[in-house]
Amino acid sequence: MCLGIESTAHTFGASLVDSDDKIVTNVNSTYRPPVGVGIHPRKASEHHATVADDIVRKALSAPDGSSLDPDVIAYAAGPGLGPCLRVGATVGRALSTFLEKPLVPVHHGVAHLDIAMSIAKARDPLAVLVSGGHTSILVHAEKRWRVYGETQDITLGNLLDMFGREARLPSPGGASVGREAMKGQNLIKLPYTVKGNDVAYSGLLTAAATLFRRHSDLADLCFSLQETAFSMLSEAVERSLVQTRRSEVLLAGGVAASPRLREMIGSVAEDHGASFHPVPIEYSGDCGAQIACSGRLAFESGIKVSTSDSFVTPRWRMDEVDVPWIPRA
Amino acid sequence: MDTASLTSTALHRGAEADLSLATIGPWKVIVKHRVRKEYRNPILDAQIRHDRTISEASLIHEAKTAGARVPSIVGIDIENNTIVMTHLTGTVARECLDDMAKSEAQKLLRSVGEQIGLLHTAGIVHGDLTTSNVIVSPSGPPFIVDFGMSRRSVEPEDRGVDLHLLQRSIIASHRQNPSSMMNSMIRGYEKTAGKKVASSTWRKAREIARRGRYFAIR
Repeated sequence: MCLGIESTAHTFGASLVDSDDKIVTNVNSTYRPPVGVGIHPRKASEHHATVADDIVRKALSAPDGSSLDPDVIAYAAGPGLGPCLRVGATVGRALSTFLEKPLVPVHHGVAHLDIAMSIAKARDPLAVLVSGGHTSILVHAEKRWRVYGETQDITLGNLLDMFGREARLPSPGGASVGREAMKGQNLIKLPYTVKGNDVAYSGLLTAAATLFRRHSDLADLCFSLQETAFSMLSEAVERSLVQTRRSEVLLAGGVAASPRLREMIGSVAEDHGASFHPVPIEYSGDCGAQIACSGRLAFESGIKVSTSDSFVTPRWRMDEVDVPWIPRA
Repeated sequence: MDTASLTSTALHRGAEADLSLATIGPWKVIVKHRVRKEYRNPILDAQIRHDRTISEASLIHEAKTAGARVPSIVGIDIENNTIVMTHLTGTVARECLDDMAKSEAQKLLRSVGEQIGLLHTAGIVHGDLTTSNVIVSPSGPPFIVDFGMSRRSVEPEDRGVDLHLLQRSIIASHRQNPSSMMNSMIRGYEKTAGKKVASSTWRKAREIARRGRYFAIR
């Protein structure tokens, strides 16, 4: 069994995944900043340090109260907020040393895709990763995820969170904007920026925030923001799908919880005869289970690190990590 | 022109348009119809298809006037979001680049560079420059096609996007050595765009590549 520890941003989580890729336990605690404020890295890391002991204990207890023993300890080594990453890495090193079990560093973004692929039983998909940290369209080739398209500035999660804060909507922004959007009907013209397979969202954010300050109807604005931002991504996904000719489309990451985005990317996949595999909503956001799932696969491929060589990397690109376990069997 | 009465046979289904083949008089023509996208809000969808049809037709025509190897516009049907252009003979570069010997591939990339230089000098940026949009011609330089994302611009930023996208498509879809391919491309580009523009565009392209998420500051 592999114990995974997640602490890249707002969530501290721990989870056990067994050798059959089954999620045995998954315990998470998320730091929620006050309305209108973003994540403060130090405050989030203090939250993680406070809850870590309790979360790990719960993750290591079976439903009948007996304790479970991990064979491998995986921790999220990046990318993410430095102070938060260090909490998870410290917990991982301590457990690895105390239990005398190998330590495995995991890339948080790769882990989002791994858990989505495990659950969907996807083999070699075109992967769409949408979260606060990533907005990327990827295909796997020669041991690594290759970026086919991505955001040139802020991520889709950033866009929705930042607009949500501007409009004083509760965190996370994506869910709040989605709720407001259900009440909107009128499409307001907003900047639509697709450059080849890339998107750029900063102009869209500025325009939407300016209209909000000028008292545009919030529901219509949320509706238009969502339609425009998701259409941009869907178009980039469609281009990438035609170019790469994959027969599976995977949708993962926190923003994958959006029903409207699932509907749109699903429609693109269907249109081109590809099967569509959105990550189940409970595993879309950051969680311990993604790290445990990815850590197990990495360990089976021979990836591990000694405590003294273990590291955290706040900046770490998806295409810099060897992922030899894809295509999946 | 009215394309509704034209008899055509389906040829290729792209990301945003259907291509079909038809005959008008002695000419074989390509009919490019921008189709409705189910995922997109109908108002946004109509606006995007309308704007791109007009802009693509006029930019292809401008590119032709500037001496670039592009199809000729035969007509447009704005109501149906359709462009009719001349049919080109050749192979899509995405299909044949990896089968080429290194020197042959370098020669191709050099003339692709020359074509991009011609476009940029004419104030046109392609906006979706991948090996799927280059047609290797048996008689003369390669054709550049699909101007659906093109714009008028002389900004190094927009020109840089073109080179960045081409480079990424070579890295992501091909086995040829990317740096050797891009070196050849730049030599061709210099020839038609000039050394000064070439160096500023290439600098920008590298900067754009680093703009992606989580590049360490090195």
